[in-house]
Amino acid sequence: MTTLHILNASPSTATQLKSCLRVVSIGDGIVLCGEAVQALRPGSAAAEQLLACQQTYHLYALQEDVQARAIDTTMVSVTLLDYPAFVALCVDYARVNSWT
Amino acid sequence: MAKSVLLISRQAPWAGIAAAEALDIALAAGAFDLPLSILFMDDGVLQLLDQQQPLALQQKDLSANLQALPMFGIEQLYVAQHCLTERGLAESTLVMTAERLDDQQIQQLIREYDYVVTL
Amino acid sequence: MKFVISVLSSSHAPSTRRALRFAQAVLAAGHEIIRVFFYQDGVLTASNNLVVAQDQQDIAQQWQAFIAENELDAVVCIAAALRRGVLDQTEAQRYGREAANLAEGYQLSGLGQLHDGLQQAERLISFGGQ
Repeated sequence: MTTLHILNASPSTATQLKSCLRVVSIGDGIVLCGEAVQALRPGSAAAEQLLACQQTYHLYALQEDVQARAIDTTMVSVTLLDYPAFVALCVDYARVNSWT
Repeated sequence: MAKSVLLISRQAPWAGIAAAEALDIALAAGAFDLPLSILFMDDGVLQLLDQQQPLALQQKDLSANLQALPMFGIEQLYVAQHCLTERGLAESTLVMTAERLDDQQIQQLIREYDYVVTL
Repeated sequence: MKFVISVLSSSHAPSTRRALRFAQAVLAAGHEIIRVFFYQDGVLTASNNLVVAQDQQDIAQQWQAFIAENELDAVVCIAAALRRGVLDQTEAQRYGREAANLAEGYQLSGLGQLHDGLQQAERLISFGGQ
């Protein structure tokens, strides 16, 4: 009965990431899309927050948003998604929580 | 059995129409007798504060909508304790009775519903 | 699997484009979209008065075409639409406004339609914010 959380806001201007990390359960998934993918930048404050509790959840990011922003994800354990994979993930988890 | 919704309301009552539009989702569920609970989180906790004066900004009083919730059958209200605490509101009086939840209890709460709607 | 998709931001928000791409992938995978529900600023996507520069993507137009091609049930929250100036013929007459601007393929209705969709569906995916 795990939840897929979708984050889309910049970690430097919104509280989405901070709040989500407080309420994420073991086995949940987090999908970063839009400006939320900025949290994948190695060495950023958001990346530190994100990776500090990464044993709890599975981390995904929308590939087009990562590519558009020229973010190097080779150092981070993240699964990049195209839209078909994004849809499949929403089926796999019991519910989807879109943080808007 | 009807599918249940947890509405997570995260917007301050002072940030335009967003908080009111979130509450409307709850009132609509109540009107159709569907199971829905509300969790106030982040700036959404500010909706629960007593003695606010929206009239000073010619704004509609959202607490009237909040107080209508039980009449619509929406009785389960929750508030994230850490969001009150970090805003200096840990001991504040709330306009409605809302159960204060810690992070673990919120994790548990989310798992109990078919849908989560965060606005 | 049966999906409800809700669109909460205006047509130029990245999330509204993302919602469209997601919805296209839902159908391509053989799933069903019970309803697309437009709420908050998402109702602006249903205006037929949007004019987009030629060198930019017209996401509202793409949404409309996608809805028509797949005969989707596209519901626009009436209260949210009225306060943002999106009116059908009936509402324009009721409030004495000069023009109706709800694009073809969309219907104005209440929030009950969101809940009705959720009762029929198995997943809700919302696209709002940026």
